[in-house]
Amino acid sequence: MKNGIATAALSELTAEIAAQPAQGCVAYGVALNWRSGTRAEVEALPMRIGNEQVSRGLRWEIDEPRQLGGSNHAPNPQEYLLSGLGGCLMVGFLVGASVRGIQIEQFSIEVHAELDLAGFLGARAGAPVALGGIRYVMHVQAEAGDAVLEELRELAEAHSPNARTLAHGVPIHGALARTPR
Amino acid sequence: MPGLCKGDPRSKAPAVGSAAWVNELGRARRPGPALPAPLLPATLGSSTLSVHAGSHDDPATGAVGTPIYQNSTFVLGADQYRAIDQGYARDRFIYTRYGNPSQWAVQEKIAALEGAESALVFASGMAAIAASVLAMLDRGAHVIASRELYGGTYAFFHHELPSLGFEVSYVDPRDPNAVRAALRPNTMLLFFEAMTNPLLNLVDIAAMAAIARAAGAKLIVDATFVSPLGVRALEHGADLVVHSGSKYLNGHSDLICGAVAGSRKYVDRVWPRLLAYGGCLDPHACFLLERGLKTLALRMRAHQDGAIALANHLAAHAQVNWLRHSARADHPDHALAARQLRQHSGLVAFAVRGGDAAALALLPRLRLMREATSLGGVETLVSLPFNTSHAAFTAEQRAQIGIPPGCVRLSVGIEDPADLIADLDQALAHC
Repeated sequence: MKNGIATAALSELTAEIAAQPAQGCVAYGVALNWRSGTRAEVEALPMRIGNEQVSRGLRWEIDEPRQLGGSNHAPNPQEYLLSGLGGCLMVGFLVGASVRGIQIEQFSIEVHAELDLAGFLGARAGAPVALGGIRYVMHVQAEAGDAVLEELRELAEAHSPNARTLAHGVPIHGALARTPR
Repeated sequence: MPGLCKGDPRSKAPAVGSAAWVNELGRARRPGPALPAPLLPATLGSSTLSVHAGSHDDPATGAVGTPIYQNSTFVLGADQYRAIDQGYARDRFIYTRYGNPSQWAVQEKIAALEGAESALVFASGMAAIAASVLAMLDRGAHVIASRELYGGTYAFFHHELPSLGFEVSYVDPRDPNAVRAALRPNTMLLFFEAMTNPLLNLVDIAAMAAIARAAGAKLIVDATFVSPLGVRALEHGADLVVHSGSKYLNGHSDLICGAVAGSRKYVDRVWPRLLAYGGCLDPHACFLLERGLKTLALRMRAHQDGAIALANHLAAHAQVNWLRHSARADHPDHALAARQLRQHSGLVAFAVRGGDAAALALLPRLRLMREATSLGGVETLVSLPFNTSHAAFTAEQRAQIGIPPGCVRLSVGIEDPADLIADLDQALAHC
């Protein structure tokens, strides 16, 4: 299959969701368990795709560098955020290229962002807490013109749930539950 | 031949190259794959489907019935290369492990008999079960299965699945509350047999399907003991139905094969497992299976009628102290059988006075019935659970799951019931 993407199956899934909208509804979840300091173990919870419950069985760690009070044993939350964006853009780009019949020989993305720690730490009044912005560069080797590849990049960004979420923001609803002793 | 579609001509390529995005690719799932031929009306009866579904006369010679395509590979062309490139290789002939007209013919017949969109045949029933189960599971998944599984299936669930990181809970197949209680957030599959061995208990497929559906899990039903003539598990809500085709489907005790049937969506998920694990069915074996299936409806009626005659005779026999057949009112699942079974199978279980030793002594005295494992063949087969399917159990464990001492399992063939009764009577007379 070109680029390892089954365009036939993608089209069949699209037709299924067009006919049965509930099949397009996906629910995700992760559970973080604090270990110590800035370290936590994260577990992917069962995912719901349409009418299917999908076991994930995946775990990973999260930490901060020593300079920020951690042990540097795992990527930090901002790096996971950026990789989540990069991975989402990658899927969109490869799907778009496969739909066009374009063979991708090599593909990588660098994603960068900055923030001012003064916001989190409250070191300076009015300092922003959020990232100042996110920049990414796609490095592509393919037999296609620059204009086509740029169009694929734009399509990938336009169809990326993570890019749309970060660009436009979504409400976050938090709650507290006391863990019984 | 230029322009010839070497595969299913109803399967169209997605519009790769001209579409701007996925929604413009224009390909949707359709039943099959199938050889080019007018589709049979779904209203046809089981006997007609047994004979005609999937049987395609040879267009080049006019030969009646599907020829045996005894080849491993196919001449490739642009259409097949496109199918590989775009991911619809199941719909084109490329290599026999991927698909072959002899496989497609019998798959179409099985799908028609099961009321399924799609089917696959395998080199054994266990190949069908293993590929189908693994296709329904993802990393870390949990499975709920009957505690009365066929031994081969139990060995796969008990020894292989845990090695692959899957967990299995075993439950009473007749207790929906126990099934509900066993559900976990990562439960992806419920697996039950439509009729259990050797107690011939039934599972309420619709009830299990409702539990599975509510949990987002899949339901696989092994309908080997009843055949599609006994129950169409998909119509009761199962996602996939599997068979040891070596039993009733082929029916002649001369072939090892298996099958799975279901929606195109789910059978398409099994197909890559068939490719990866390699349990495809040889074309000549496909021919044998398709020929056997042509008489399935006739055979199942004879199996049922013979089994009822033998069961009714044995129930009144002085040497018999326990008996099961789903057609009898004293079967514990008789009400479910009346609701769920379209017809009964040829399986009878009974126990002789004197326990396992008496049962063991009975078998060599039988003249027509063959002392052999397996079931569903034209000849009556007889075996004892205590030294075959349940040999790994202690007598106490067998008693706990309800297998009485002296239990005999009969797979009633298509012989004249009077001859089988006479054979049993002369053998039981020595007990």
